[in-house]
Formats: sequence, C-alpha cells, structure tokens
Amino acid sequence: MTIIHNRPLDDIAETAPTIAGNAFTRAFSGGSLWRLIGMLVLILILGFLTIYPLAMLLYGSLHSTPPGMAGEFNLNGYRSIMTTQNLIVLANTIGISLAKTIPSLTIAVFLAWIVARTDTPFRGTLEVLITLPFFIPPILTAMAWGMLANPQVGVINMVWRWLTGGTDPLVNIYSYGGVIWHMCQYSIPFLFLFMVDAFRAMDPSLEESSRMCGASRWTTFRKITLLLMLPVLTSSFMLSFIKGIETFESALFFGLPAGIKVITTDIYESINHRATPDYQYATSLSFAIMGLMFLLVIWQWWMLRGKSFQTVTGKGFRPSVMELGPWRWVTFAFCVLFFFITVVLPIGQLMLGSFFRFFGFYTYDMLTLEHYRAVFANSEFWRAVRNTMVLGLLGATATMALGAVVAYISVRTRWRGRNLIDSMAWLPWMMPGMVLGVGFLWAFAMLPGPIPIYGTIWALLLAYIALGTPVSVRVMTGAYHQLSYDLEECSRVHGATWAQTMWRIMVALAWPAFAVGWVLTFFGIMRELSASILLYSVGSETLAVVLMKLWANGNAEQVSVIGLMMMLLVIVFRWVQLSFIKARISKL
Amino acid sequence: MASVTLENVSRMYGAITAVDNVNLKIKSGEFVTLLGPSGCGKTTTLRMVAGLEKNTGGRIAIGDNVVSDSDKGYFVPSERRRLGMVFQSYAIWPHMTVFDNVAYPLRIRRRPDTEVRDRVMNALRLVEMEQYAERPSPALSGGQQQRVAIARALVFEPEVLLLDEPLSNLDARLRTQMGDDFRALQQRLKITALYVTHDQAEAMALSDRVVVMHGGKILQVGAPEEIYRRPENRQVAAFFGTPNLLNATVKDCRPNGGQYFKLSVEGQGWSGDCHAATEMPKGADVTVMVRPENLHVRDAGQVNGDLSWSGEVSQAIFRGSHRSIMVKTPAQTLHVEASSLSNVDIGRPVTVAAPVEAAWAVRN
Ligand SMILES: Nc1ncnc2c1ncn2[C@@H]1O[C@H](COP(=O)(O)OP(=O)(O)O)[C@@H](O)[C@H]1O
Ligand SMILES: [Mg+2]
Repeated sequence: MTIIHNRPLDDIAETAPTIAGNAFTRAFSGGSLWRLIGMLVLILILGFLTIYPLAMLLYGSLHSTPPGMAGEFNLNGYRSIMTTQNLIVLANTIGISLAKTIPSLTIAVFLAWIVARTDTPFRGTLEVLITLPFFIPPILTAMAWGMLANPQVGVINMVWRWLTGGTDPLVNIYSYGGVIWHMCQYSIPFLFLFMVDAFRAMDPSLEESSRMCGASRWTTFRKITLLLMLPVLTSSFMLSFIKGIETFESALFFGLPAGIKVITTDIYESINHRATPDYQYATSLSFAIMGLMFLLVIWQWWMLRGKSFQTVTGKGFRPSVMELGPWRWVTFAFCVLFFFITVVLPIGQLMLGSFFRFFGFYTYDMLTLEHYRAVFANSEFWRAVRNTMVLGLLGATATMALGAVVAYISVRTRWRGRNLIDSMAWLPWMMPGMVLGVGFLWAFAMLPGPIPIYGTIWALLLAYIALGTPVSVRVMTGAYHQLSYDLEECSRVHGATWAQTMWRIMVALAWPAFAVGWVLTFFGIMRELSASILLYSVGSETLAVVLMKLWANGNAEQVSVIGLMMMLLVIVFRWVQLSFIKARISKL
Repeated sequence: MASVTLENVSRMYGAITAVDNVNLKIKSGEFVTLLGPSGCGKTTTLRMVAGLEKNTGGRIAIGDNVVSDSDKGYFVPSERRRLGMVFQSYAIWPHMTVFDNVAYPLRIRRRPDTEVRDRVMNALRLVEMEQYAERPSPALSGGQQQRVAIARALVFEPEVLLLDEPLSNLDARLRTQMGDDFRALQQRLKITALYVTHDQAEAMALSDRVVVMHGGKILQVGAPEEIYRRPENRQVAAFFGTPNLLNATVKDCRPNGGQYFKLSVEGQGWSGDCHAATEMPKGADVTVMVRPENLHVRDAGQVNGDLSWSGEVSQAIFRGSHRSIMVKTPAQTLHVEASSLSNVDIGRPVTVAAPVEAAWAVRN
C-alpha cells in the first residue's frame, strides 16, 4: 500500500500563529461559520461527557449531602479519607497492582516473543487463543474462579483432597494471591496485544549484526533485543500498572470477602454497602484517586518523552524467526497451557456449574437443565440481554463516531480548538470506571428537572461513551496517521469536493480501523461493571449487573448459565471480527 | 490544453518566504520543468497552481481564467480547476482497483458508465496498463503505480498536467525509460505539463523549458541546452554537473556578430577567449565556466585551442563510459572528462585546451 505520512505539518504551524489552519483546510473549508458551529457542538458534547462529571466530582466532594439534596459545603469528605486505614487501602492498591504487573509483563513478553520471533508450530492459532481472555469479561472469569478455587467446594481443592487424602485446601482464591492471579489473567493478553507488533516489527538485522560481532544468542537478547524493546516495555509497564489501580472486579470478588480493600472497592462499598451511603466520602476518595492517576499519567508521559520506537520501521522486511528445534514443542505447550488455564478451565467450570443442581455437588443424579429453564424464563435476564445489546450497539457506534471526528480534527486539520477537544476526549483516560460512575451520579442528579437521564439506560450509555472515547480517538488517530495527505489532495485535484473526498477516500480507507475499534468498544461495554453498578437502576440492568446480583444471592448455578451465554457471545463476536478483518486485509 | 500564467506569485509561511515573486508563463502544449535543490519552493509553486495551497501574493491564471488572485481574495478551489496531477507518492487509493482509480475523476463528474469505461480503457492503453484494469491497486509495482497515476491524471483531459517528482521513487533504469515514455506521450497529446524535479538530467531530457529555482526565486528560465551551455550566473552554472569555474579578468570585449560577445580573459597563469551574454567592461572580474566534457588533454606544449592551461595529471579515474582526469594547473585543478580509451600517466606534464564555444563567462 502506498501509505506514507508525508509533509508533516506539525512542526510548522506552531511557530507561525499568524496563519490559522493548514493550507489544505484553509483552502478547502467552505463555510467557516458551519465549522465554528460544528466545533462548538463538539466541545459541548465532550464537555458534557468529561468536564461536567469531573466538575461535579469536585462539587460533590465538598458537598455534605448526597446528590440532589440541600446541604452545605465543607472539607469533611477530605478529612474523612485521611485515615490510617486508607493508607493501608492505598498501599494495597499500589502493592497489588505492582505485584500483578511484574509477572504479567514477564509472561506477556515471553508469549509475544514466542509468537512473533520463534518457529513455534501453529503460531497463528496460538495468537488467537492467547488473546481470547482479553475479550472475556473479567466478571465471568472471576465467578468461574470463585467456583474453581473456592477453599471448600472448589473443583481444584476437591481434586486435591481426593488425590492426597488430606483435608486442607490447596488454593484459596479469597486472598491477595487470588486477587493477583485473577488480574494477571486479564493483564497478560492485554500486554501481549500491546507489545506483539513491536516484537514483530523489529528489524532482525539489528540482532543479526550483533551475532556477527561475536555476541551469543543470549547476550544478543539481553543487550540488543531487550534494550531495543525498552520503550515499549516501559510503556507497557506503566499502562499495566495504571490499569491495575483501576481494576475493580478482582478486588471485589476475591479481596472483599477476605477483608482486602483497594480504592475502587472502597468507593463502591461506601456507597453500596453502608447503612447510609456516604457520598461525600466516596466522592472525595474518587477525586483523590483521580489526582493520583493524574500524577501517574504525567509520570508516564515524562518517562516516555522523546523515546521513539525506532525499531518499528515501515520497511517490508521479513522478520526472521528463531529456530528452536525440539524446544518449540515446549513453547507450544506453554501457550496451550496458558489458554487452558485462562479459558478452558473457567468455561469448563461454568458448564459444570450450569448442569448440576447445586454448585459443588457433582454427582450423576444431580444433573439437571432446570437452571437453563429458570434463566430463559426470567424476564429480567431477557431485559438485561436487550439492554446490553442496545447499549453495546449504540454505545460502540456513538463512541467510534465521536472518536473518528475528534481524531480527524486533531490529526488532519489546523482548526482552532483542536487541541482543546483532543485533551477533553483524553480526560476519561485518567478516570477509572468507578470514579467516572461517581462523577456521573452527581452529574445526572444535578441536571435540571426536565432532563431525566438518571436511572435510565441513557445514563449508562453516556458513561460508556465517555469511558470509551480515549481508546476510540487513539484507534482512529493511528488510522489517519497512516493515510498520506496525498490521497486526500489527489482526490481534490481530480475534481472531488471536500464532502466527496471524505466519503469516497477517507471513510473508505479508515473504516477497517473503525470496525476494529467498534468491536473493541463493544467488548468494553459488555465487560463494564464498575460504572454500571453505580448507575443502573431497575429496568436498566446490564448482563454484568444481573450476574452480580445473582452472585450476591448465592445463585452460582444461574450465574454459570448466563456466564456461558456471554462466553458464547464473546467467542462468536471474536470469530466474526477475525474472519471479517482477515478478509478485508487480504482484499487490500 | 491551456496555458498557465504566474504573476508575482509568492507564498509565505509565517516569516518564511517559500516562494518569492515568481513570474512564469507556460504556453499551451509546453513541457516546463521546475528544477532546483530540495527546499527551494518547487512543490509549493506546483501546489499553488493546483490550488492545494493559497498564494499569499500575486495572481495565477489557467488559460484565460484567473484561478487565484490574492489581492482580490479570489480563489478557485482545486476541484474546479480541471487539472490532472501525479503525486510523488502516486497517491493510488489502496481500496480501489486500477480501473476504479482511473475512473475516479469521471465518476466524480457523473459521466455515464459507457463513457467511463471507454475513456478509462483508453487512458490505460496510453500507459500500456489495460491488462491490469481489474487488479487491486496495492498489487502493483512502483513503475505500474506511476503509470496508473498518469492515466488517472489524463483521463479527464485536464487543462494542465502537474507532476511532482513522479520518477523519484523508481530505480535508475526504470526512471530513464518512464521519463522517455512520458515525454513521447506528452508530445503526442500536446499536453501542457508543469513538472517538478531536483534531477538535472531528468529536467534536461524531458523539458521544452527549464525553470531553475533557488531559495524561492527563479534564477533562470530557458531551453535545456541554453541553460546548460549559457547560464546567467555562477549559481546556475554550478547547479548542472561539476563544471570547472575559473576566476578571470576581462582584457577585451567585442561583439561576436551574433547574440554574444567575445571576451579575452586572463587568469592566474593562463589566458584566452570565451563567450559571454552581455558586454563587459575591461578589468571586470568574471567567472569562466568550462564543462569537463569539453576539455581536451594534449601533450605538453601542444596548443591548438582558444583556451589552454598547462599542468600535470594528478589523478585519473576510470568510470566506464569515460575517464575522469584531474589536471593540476597553477590556477586550480581542472576536471576533464576524456574518452575512456585515453591513457594517461599520473604526474605527466600536459596541456588542457578548450574551444572558444565551450567557455562561457558570467559576471561575478
Ligand atoms: N506547510 C508549510 N509550512 C511552513 N513551511 C513550509 C510548508 N511547506 C513548505 N514549507 C517550506 O517552504 C520551503 C519550500 O518547500 P517546498 O516547496 O516543499 O520545496 P521543494 O519542493 O523545492 O523541495 C521549504 O523551506 C519548506 O520548509
Ligand atoms: Mg518537493
């Protein structure tokens, strides 16, 4: 493909403020009034999605009563979070996130290396299998692992007791180890996806020349490969660490029962598990964690400034793969084992759970289909399916459309205000779902009466769009960066108007990226629990919320049924996505 | 096909002047090349004609129609200028087949399908690509992409064809061949073409006239031979190849009968006759340009040219088609391109001579 990003304009206009907009847009934008109106609308939308909940968070943290009630302003919220107990919560949060990041990164690097740089058999298939857990909502694996590694009736411990004859459990998922173990299952494929292309794109001649200089394979790996990968490793580490601080499900399922609290579960608890919800406490804590995230993001940005991925060039070299000899079956087995633990075991557990009358009693006479019947007869389940689907379809479409527009304006135009909308769209990146949820709680409650968003499905939709926008902007930015300006300009010279060019060239070329982003966002919405659990109300439950409720009622059997359905949905979607995009690429 | 007129055209980027007061008239059917080092404003000039860039000063007209007048704030957008353009990257849209790419300008203008079909196939035939019509465009080699880009630019019978370094992404052999093919096509169809390149050989081989640019300004406009043999100043002289540039003083100046003046000049340890475009006063400092291929090496003392230097051979390099010989003279080391059959020994005393037509003087 002749996709070159030439005529980089970025380094120029900044120093020449006298010229508004780049040549291209200035020459072509017809009505600047329409452009102004468009930009204003965009700023309003983004402002409502990001600035408004943020401002409401600050407001709420200073306000003594729950949203929508008269109260006074004070600093009690901040005072109340300054406790030694919260210091432990903070230490837990950071410690757990670090403790899961290090093994995750190690394993992810190893997996990425296996898939990208060795001759392990069936690498293509393995790649699909390894990345599958990323698409499975963590709530499903959490529930499955809650059953698998339950100290009393978990299958793993039952098998262990049967094997050894002892009475002590082998593993207890309700522990620090359990929380970290569960987080890793999601982190590893996430980091793998983040890194694997960098491994693939590395110029092998850099390694080969090291070998020619007399370095052994291992020295080359340490001194060349690893160091070249350092920028990508650093950013993976930071990303994983930040995501770890935001994580909710693992700590909710395995931490809380064991008395291990992290910041997200603390916020959740103070609203949902106390006799009177302490909104000021929760909001102050949310605002404080946002401050922490802000510092982390700044730190990340500072660490990575000036580092570039020099190894990733556009040249079409064939990445050389390392011949492992018989060891390739070991690496193969490692990948399969990973897939087995992260996908097969949980799915197996859900199946087991769904077909037996009581969770934990797996005997022949306990086999039943009654749970399936119960679930299918449950109107709440069907409503949740409908809600999730509607939210997924609408949410993914709206998020990607917003991302496509924002990215276009910030990457390919010089319009005034483009930096503003870019930063606004990026804001939710620092907000964990839980925090954004709290912010929107306030935001919706403070809306004037005639706008009844709170308690409806639209509340969830808006939160999902806000949460998804940073990613959608990133995906589309990447896509636009790959399309050279020539492709657009060439169309103009040959007679197409701006609108025709948009439709026939830009949209036509960027839509595969749009589709990829769409599916990602859809999965994100299906997975979302932390904001949903705060913003749902009767009638607007999503599948994840229904699962949570059933789980809280101890109905592990119906949870298994619904979990299986969702798994099936994920696998079908992933399969469609893979075959659809493959077809698309081979056509190009 | 239409003419193109640029009147006092300028383009500023903030404080930087990328194009500075350019005046140029391209006649209908003429092939004009903008030539100059990278960053001299060629692309900017071309893009202003294309309407991809607004000129901050001056006027541009295509045919009889003004398309941009910065004083009046008048600007015709690109898509209404009826141009064809070949981009340096070719800008072949990767999501379309070859046929769709070429058909684009016609479909945009809502031509009936039968007409689209005929004209696209005609255009593809012109560039000998008709058998590739249904190919997905990413499956093309560089040379093929370039042909498709030309076909696409020509399919609508544009007023003017604009080309920005279209050959620079090809390898050397293909470059020459594609260049010759394109020149033949241009002459056959009488296309008005404005062509941008930094390659002097390409400019000379293709163009009717070459515009030499430097720092946003036009240094000289003329036929390739004119510019090569009779540059207006030292900069233009130095731009083509590696000429010998010698400092000298004018001893005498008289009309040559024709357009030129004949000068007698004297340099450090040498003297002789040469030509110049303008009359020069006695005692003026000039630069005399002699191209390496017009110099001859003879045995020492043997003088039968209008200009001669004596010196000794300091270096000789065999280059296949010719032999580069460096002769050290009291004035400076002269570069001579001799036949590759000639045999010279390093250190041998020789005389270097040139005919008067081969020596061209410009004012310093
Ligand atoms: N969009 C722009 N903004 C600022 N300066 C520019 C821009 N485009 C080109 N220039 C400057 O204008 C000059 C001429 O550029 P260009 O026309 O591309 O040169 P050429 O094609 O001859 O190599 C260069 O100095 C370049 O840096
Ligand atoms: Mg250029």
